[in-house]
Amino acid sequence: MTPISTTVADILHLSGPTREKLALARRRGANMWRLYRASRVGMLGLILLFVVLGMAVFADFVTPYGPFEPTGQPHETPPSPKNWLGTDLSGWDIYSRVIYGARVSLMIGLVATAVSMGLGTLVGLMSGYWGGWRDEVLMRITDVFLVIPWLVLMIVLAYVLPGGPSVTKVVFVIGITGWSSTARIVRAQVFSLKERAFVERARAIGSGDLHIVRKHIFPNVFPLIFANAILTIALSILSESTLSYVNLGPRSYEVVTWGNILNDAVQAHAMTLGYYWWIVVPGLCIVLVVLAFTFIGFALDEIFNPRLRKR
Amino acid sequence: MKSLRRVFLRRLLNALVTLMLVLILNFYLFRVMPGDPVRLLIPQDPSIGPEFIERQREAFGLGKPLLEQFFIYLWNTAHLDFGLSYYYRTPVWDYIWDSLQWTLILVGTSSVLMIVIGMTMGIISAWRRGGLFDTGSLAFSLFFYAMPTFWFAMMLIVIFSQQIPIFPAGGQLSIGETLWPMDGDKMLDLLEHLILPATSLTIGSIAAFSLIMRGSLIDVMTEEYITTARAKGLSEYKVLKDHAVPNAMLPMVTLIAMDLAFVVGGAFQTEQVFSYKGIGWATIQATYKRDYPVLQAAFLLIAVTVIIANLIADLLLVKLDPRVRMD
Repeated sequence: MTPISTTVADILHLSGPTREKLALARRRGANMWRLYRASRVGMLGLILLFVVLGMAVFADFVTPYGPFEPTGQPHETPPSPKNWLGTDLSGWDIYSRVIYGARVSLMIGLVATAVSMGLGTLVGLMSGYWGGWRDEVLMRITDVFLVIPWLVLMIVLAYVLPGGPSVTKVVFVIGITGWSSTARIVRAQVFSLKERAFVERARAIGSGDLHIVRKHIFPNVFPLIFANAILTIALSILSESTLSYVNLGPRSYEVVTWGNILNDAVQAHAMTLGYYWWIVVPGLCIVLVVLAFTFIGFALDEIFNPRLRKR
Repeated sequence: MKSLRRVFLRRLLNALVTLMLVLILNFYLFRVMPGDPVRLLIPQDPSIGPEFIERQREAFGLGKPLLEQFFIYLWNTAHLDFGLSYYYRTPVWDYIWDSLQWTLILVGTSSVLMIVIGMTMGIISAWRRGGLFDTGSLAFSLFFYAMPTFWFAMMLIVIFSQQIPIFPAGGQLSIGETLWPMDGDKMLDLLEHLILPATSLTIGSIAAFSLIMRGSLIDVMTEEYITTARAKGLSEYKVLKDHAVPNAMLPMVTLIAMDLAFVVGGAFQTEQVFSYKGIGWATIQATYKRDYPVLQAAFLLIAVTVIIANLIADLLLVKLDPRVRMD
C-alpha cells in the first residue's frame, strides 16, 4: 500500500505536512476497512448496494428500452419475451423502467439525506455550542418537527408548498421533515465535547468560535453523523416511495422512480387485474436498497460507537 | 438534583410551547405560505354557491389583518370549529371525529400487539444472544423494517384476499354497517376487517421495539447487580424477570411515545391501502379532493395527540427514573 501513496504524493509534489496528513488519512482508512470487513452484515449490505449501483450505472446496457421509449406494444400487457414485466398504461416497458428507477430513487435518497443531515448538523452545532436561550429557541423548533408524524408533515408540506410535483420538491420535503433527530443527536454530542480539555485548550490559546467548531468539534461529531446519514438514506428512499404512492411524488412521465412505478400500478388497478409482477418487482427493489443502507449503517454504527463494539 | 415538581413544570412548559408553535405552523402553512389564502380557503369548484364562499370567508376572517385572522383561528380552534368540509359540506370536526374512532381501533390494536410481540422478541434475543432465535428475529425485524408499509399492505391483500380469499380486501365493516350498536356478529365482522390492516401496521414496527429492548437488556445484563443476583443463586428466569427486565423497560417508555409518530405514519399508509376510513384515509382523500379545511384540522389533531402522548411519557419517565432529573 505505501508505495502507491508515495507516488501519488510525489506526482502532486506535496509538501511535508500535507504528505503526512495524506498518510494519516490512508492509515485511518485502512484501519476502518479492517474493522468494517469483519462485519458480516456490513459486507452483505455492501454487496446489495453494489447490485443497486450496478442497476443505476449500467441501466443503458441491460435494458431493451429507454424509460420513456414506446415499445410498440399495446398498453398494460402481461409479461412476454420482449417485455419481461409487461408494459404499463403508457405502453412503456416496465422492466426497463424498474432498472432506470434505481437512478432517481438513489439520487433522491442521497440528496434528501444531505439536506436533512446538513440542516440537522447545523442546528445541532449551533444549539449545543451556544447553549442558553439560543439553544432553547432552536430546541423548541426542533421539537415541533420531532413531534409531528413524518408522513403527515410530508403530505401537508408537499401539498401546500407552491409549484407542481417535482423531484426538487420531494427532496426538499423529505429533507425538511427529517432533520430534527439529527439536530438532537449532534447537540447532545456537542454538549459533552465542549467541556473537554482539547476544546478548553483551543479556547485558552485564543481560537475563535468558528475555528473551534470547525476544527475541534465537527470532526468529533462527524463519525456519529455519518453512520446516521447512511440509515437516513434508507428512510429517505422509503419516504419518496410513500409520497409517490399517495400521488404527491414526481410525475411518472417526467422521471421514473420505484415509488411512481408503484403509483402507476395502483392507478392502473394492477392488483384487481392480477398484474402482480408490476407491484412485486419495484417493491422488492425498494426493500433491497433499504436493506443495503440499513446493513451498512448498522455496521458503521458498531465501528464508530465504541460502546456497542465492546459488548 | 432538581425537585420533581420543577422538572414536571419544565416539561409541561416545553410541551405548551411546542403546542403553540404547532398552532402557528398550521396557521402559517395554510394561510401565508401559498401566497393567496383565497385560493386555498375558498374552493375553486363552480358548483359551490356564493353563500358557501361567504360563510367560509366569514368563518376564517379572510380579508382582515393577518394578526386578527390568527386570533379568529385560535378562537375557532379552541371551540373545535374548523369550518365546513368543501367536499362533504358538513362541519369538519364531525367528519374528523367519526374517522378518529376507526384510527383509534386500528392504532390501539396494533400498538398493543407490537409492544407485546416486540418486547418478547427482544427479551428472548438478549437472553439467548447470538443464538438461532436472535439471528432469526433480527433478520425478520430488519426485513419488514425495510419494506414500505403500503407495499406490505398490498402484498397482504394479494395473498390473503385475492390468492387465498379468507379476509376482506378493504373497509372496516361490511358495507352499510355502522359501528354502533355493537353485537357479537358485528364484533366478528370488525375483527375480520381488522386482521389484515392491523398485521401490516404491526409487523413493520416490531423491529424498533425488539431492537431497543434487546439492546437495553444486554446493557442491563452487564450491570453488577445482575452478577450479584446470580451469585445469590437465583435461577436465570428469576434474574431476568425480577432484576433485568424491569430495569431494561425504561427506554421503552420513551420509545412507545416517540414511536407513536411513526405508527401514525404507518397507519396513514395502511388505511389508504385498505380504504379503512380512519383519519389517515381522510387526510389523503382530502389532498385528492382539495379539501383544505379537513387537511388543516387533521394535521392539527394528529400533532396535538402526539404532543400529549410525548408529554405523558416524559412525565412518566421522570417519575420512574430518578436519573432523568439530573439534567
